[in-house]
Amino acid sequence: MASAQLRDTRRRIRSVEAIKKITRAMELIATSRIPKAQARVNASKPYTAKLIEVIENVGAAGAGAKHRLLEQREIKTVGLLVVSSDRGLAGSYSSNVIRLAESRIRQLDREDKDVVLYAVGKKAQAYFRYRGFRIEGSYLGVTDTPGYGDARAVASTAVTAFATGRIDSVEVFFTRYQSAMTQTPTRVDLLPITPPEQTEGAKPTATYEFEPSPEEILDRLLPRYVEATVFNVLLEASASEHSARRRAMKAATDNAEELIRLLSVQANRARQAEITTAITEIVGGAEALAETRR
Amino acid sequence: MANTFQVDVVSPEATVWSGSATFVLAKTPDGELGIMANHEPLMGSLVTGAVIVEAEDGTRTTIGVHGGFLQVLENQVTLITDRAQVTSGGREEGRQVAEQLAAEAPPDEEPIEVPEETPLS
Repeated sequence: MASAQLRDTRRRIRSVEAIKKITRAMELIATSRIPKAQARVNASKPYTAKLIEVIENVGAAGAGAKHRLLEQREIKTVGLLVVSSDRGLAGSYSSNVIRLAESRIRQLDREDKDVVLYAVGKKAQAYFRYRGFRIEGSYLGVTDTPGYGDARAVASTAVTAFATGRIDSVEVFFTRYQSAMTQTPTRVDLLPITPPEQTEGAKPTATYEFEPSPEEILDRLLPRYVEATVFNVLLEASASEHSARRRAMKAATDNAEELIRLLSVQANRARQAEITTAITEIVGGAEALAETRR
Repeated sequence: MANTFQVDVVSPEATVWSGSATFVLAKTPDGELGIMANHEPLMGSLVTGAVIVEAEDGTRTTIGVHGGFLQVLENQVTLITDRAQVTSGGREEGRQVAEQLAAEAPPDEEPIEVPEETPLS
């Protein structure tokens, strides 16, 4: 007959083991997704780089820096795009970005500027909604494997709001994927597009031939550029999220192992105490019997 | 082969083709356009269709392309496409692939319209 304490300890061991299986599985899933997410980040970079190159050239060719997406105006309302995750169990991944965004909101508040929020991921949405911020748009279910279409949806909202004068600038908060070990919450200014610095390799301007007019080309290039930037941001955030989750789940698995070890010691001790008691009882009983027989 | 130039075909998801080539055939709104080395600097948009790249070693690659831009500058040809896919077949197959890509593209993949009016102060 197992004592109550022994039974309790064994039950706890079993439950910790079950939890460990779950965290281990999540760790493995996250681990398997990191290389893929990372590869997508790298694969998307040439596109953005080429796009910037082309925009620079078109700009240098005198298409004029007078597109409405380039327009710097007095900032009254700032659009903030916060990229978080949909699910928890990723350590401080979401809270770090959210904290960065919130401190920026406070700063803008002090400067008497209005803030319009766009949330990517359930966590940012829930956090800001709970605190009574107005969320103009939220995008859920995109952070796991963001597609270009998702980036397009986010970008088009931002571009439309900016172009209609609803907001005067757009800032993006996301977690930059620096390496497998370091991911840092970062802020990037999305709109207005800051004209790239005129580099020394500024290409000859006169000989450039445009199939549609330069204005038309620019008109199509710039929204593309915003999309590509958002796409990059989403991909990096996704890679960061998987890394953060892997780390968090690894820590959880390690903790579970440690807990199981401690509980096993406890269970063994309880079992030994029980056996000792039983032996003492038997020996005591036998002696008592021998006593009476004599 | 002296008259080669650098060609890069990129899409948001990946670099589709990159290397040294002698000839590129692409489709713009004004019609098909053949590009050889030392072509005049050009900036154009692309339409759905097949792009053919003849590499330095003479092999031809057909790429189905949907939307994007084409830049020719100083013997560097850059195709910035919305969607692109390499096919093994000839031109006809490339066109079919491109049309398929266009059909797969969700309707919201139309370029973002930048609203004209600005109700500013």
